[in-house]
Amino acid sequence: MSQPSDFQPKIIAYVCNWCTYLGADLAGTNRLEYPANVRIIRLPCTGRIDFNLLVKAFEMGADAVLVSGCHPGDCHYTAGNYHARRRWILFRQLLETMGIDSRRVQFSWISAAEGKKWQQVITEITEKTQELGPYAAYREICQAGG
Amino acid sequence: MLDELREKCKQLLANGTVQVVIGYGQPAEAGGVVPVFITTPEDAQQLVWNDQCFANLTKYLLRSEIKALGKAAICVKGCDERALVVLERESQIDRTQIVVIGLLCDGVGQPRLPKCEACDVHKPRAADVLIGQPPADGQPLPAEQRYAALAAFLRKTPEERIAYWMAELSRCTKCYACRQVCPMCYCRQCIADKNRPVAISTSATLKGNFAWQITRAFHLASRCVGCDECSRVCPAGIDLRLLNLSLAQAAEKSFAFRAGMDPAAEPVIGAYREQDHEEFIR
Amino acid sequence: MSELLAATALRELVGRWLADGRRVAGPQCAKTHDDLHRHDLIRYGWLTAADQLLLAGFIRPLNSIKEFVFPRHEELYSYRFKGKQIELLPIETDPREQIIIGARPCDAAALGILDRVFNWDFRDEFYNRRRELTTVVTLACSEHDDHCFCTSVDSGPGDTRGSDVLLIPLEADQYEVRCLTEKGKRLFAGQTAASTTEGKVLAGPPPRLDLAAVGDFLDGGYENPEWQKITLRCLGCAACAYTCPTCHCFDMVDEGNAAGGVRVRNWDACQFAAFTVHVSGHNPRSVQAQRQRQRIYHKFQIYPKKFGELLCTGCGNCTRNCPVGLGVLPVLQSIVDKSQKNVPSPSGREC
Repeated sequence: MSQPSDFQPKIIAYVCNWCTYLGADLAGTNRLEYPANVRIIRLPCTGRIDFNLLVKAFEMGADAVLVSGCHPGDCHYTAGNYHARRRWILFRQLLETMGIDSRRVQFSWISAAEGKKWQQVITEITEKTQELGPYAAYREICQAGG
Repeated sequence: MLDELREKCKQLLANGTVQVVIGYGQPAEAGGVVPVFITTPEDAQQLVWNDQCFANLTKYLLRSEIKALGKAAICVKGCDERALVVLERESQIDRTQIVVIGLLCDGVGQPRLPKCEACDVHKPRAADVLIGQPPADGQPLPAEQRYAALAAFLRKTPEERIAYWMAELSRCTKCYACRQVCPMCYCRQCIADKNRPVAISTSATLKGNFAWQITRAFHLASRCVGCDECSRVCPAGIDLRLLNLSLAQAAEKSFAFRAGMDPAAEPVIGAYREQDHEEFIR
Repeated sequence: MSELLAATALRELVGRWLADGRRVAGPQCAKTHDDLHRHDLIRYGWLTAADQLLLAGFIRPLNSIKEFVFPRHEELYSYRFKGKQIELLPIETDPREQIIIGARPCDAAALGILDRVFNWDFRDEFYNRRRELTTVVTLACSEHDDHCFCTSVDSGPGDTRGSDVLLIPLEADQYEVRCLTEKGKRLFAGQTAASTTEGKVLAGPPPRLDLAAVGDFLDGGYENPEWQKITLRCLGCAACAYTCPTCHCFDMVDEGNAAGGVRVRNWDACQFAAFTVHVSGHNPRSVQAQRQRQRIYHKFQIYPKKFGELLCTGCGNCTRNCPVGLGVLPVLQSIVDKSQKNVPSPSGREC
């Protein structure tokens, strides 16, 4: 069990407008409580996610990143999430090789009806990141001079 | 083999089949083997073929000054020829307009470069002209052998890995030799040159260098053919091939795909399957 | 009369400089994990221990010492947006003295050139501050390779331009220490022993260029079609410019976001395609041959006309680092001097 911690992780969530964003909204309208550590960034579709965005999140001080969108088959733009999934499969390997903490990068499918799932995923990722602590390695990378 | 190469190129130029042969030469002042562009039959004598012929010449097929010289014949080793397959798939070249001179190769460098020890394309597979004797073996190498260097690297812990890259990338000066030498890096405006707004910091800091190398590696995912020129030319000696190997392995493991091996294969990025695995997605 | 210092004593001295809290840079082996690397790289870098310093057994480092006075990334000032106001904040600078030990004379000679550029029509405080804090100890070269051509560009293995102290290797692992400036004298005060043995600076590479012929060619050769032929293989990277001791182009960029950021200065190179792109989209140097030509003209005609010396010290780094064997000497030899060279030797990457 993790110790109660003063450390409040910064979680960046890149979410698609049509599913996960609405799912998060549903969590709100249902008054489901979830940790306020998450900063939500809304994109039209997970297919738009460029890996630069993940890198930038870490550069800007994120301790963990969540990428979430429509379930396969439900993409508002038909296939954006399929393309995204392909890229994620490849990108995870690059994270491994670089030694970038893959426990700090999470992917999920959360639909507009899954307010509860949003609550669960955010709670889990926050607790897990609290245990992991701040992402010291990337801070160090950003602070190193030229 | 060298005489055969020179004679063939001389003929191609003399009978007007091509106007330029892109090959390897060793001009005195260059101090080694370098790319040469032969435009007259007499100059075909300048061509060389030895284990110092490192360059992947396919890069030059996309240069406007070279296209302006006319129809080209290009000398390729097996690894280089894979680049032609990818470039054609991506509509950057038209194979019917190029004469491909395949050079049978048993490796370059003394000692042999790491890529040569993991090579299974000693014989270019789709050349118009093949020069040299086929090597005795022609068996495909198992994947474990081809990715052995990566496997060795991945035995390090994640903390050791990131410490390794922090040490290595601290030497990067953003000279972009890696990008300039790579046949797959042909974007007219590279994302690194975008500045309204800036997409990737141009600073040669650890932050900027991580951002650049991660981005470049990913933009090459399932496109890099493993010619390792990027690693060879890096003035700071950074072992970029490890990054490219990791994405190549991911493409092979998950999609049975190796860039440039099969002209008919569906690309990895840009295509998808409903059954693509997703056990890592919550 | 000369002053001598044993190699072991020199290394101990370097150790003391480090212990005193001074920053010390010198040639070192940037070796990484042996089982995954096929070559050792010798580069100038900050030393963390005296035994990292390499003083013999290689031609010259693959980079130059300019990065210690003209870093590849430098923060100029930071800014914060406060409503409609912008607050500018200075960057804290490192006040520590820095010593460059074991520099090649071709690197140090370039510093004088950089001093001029950074103080010509504008006094560059960022450069000057670092320059002031720097003491340069050069090591006269005992060997050269086919890429070295210092003797062809008014320099040589014992060039004292830009140097505060010149070390000349002697037999029995000793150096003659020639303090050339007050800074140099202060650094080695009390460290050396008087002697009658004098070091001899060796001859250096044979002449490889006829500067007069180069000048004549450049005067009339701007439109010569050979430029295109010779430089066709150039890839347009910055390996030459960034490893060159005298190249000094830079780009200024603001790196930040809606809250604020930092104005930085980064190295730039005339070999990049976008180097001369105008806001209109027009690019006066849109083809690589034009960019290569410009580099040669800058070094051998434009800068000399303005400042009276060449913008090149013949170190050969451009060719050593070039992926395709171009660089100043091969280009000039191709285009001006058609005489045969000796059998080429391998590039200077060996330890």
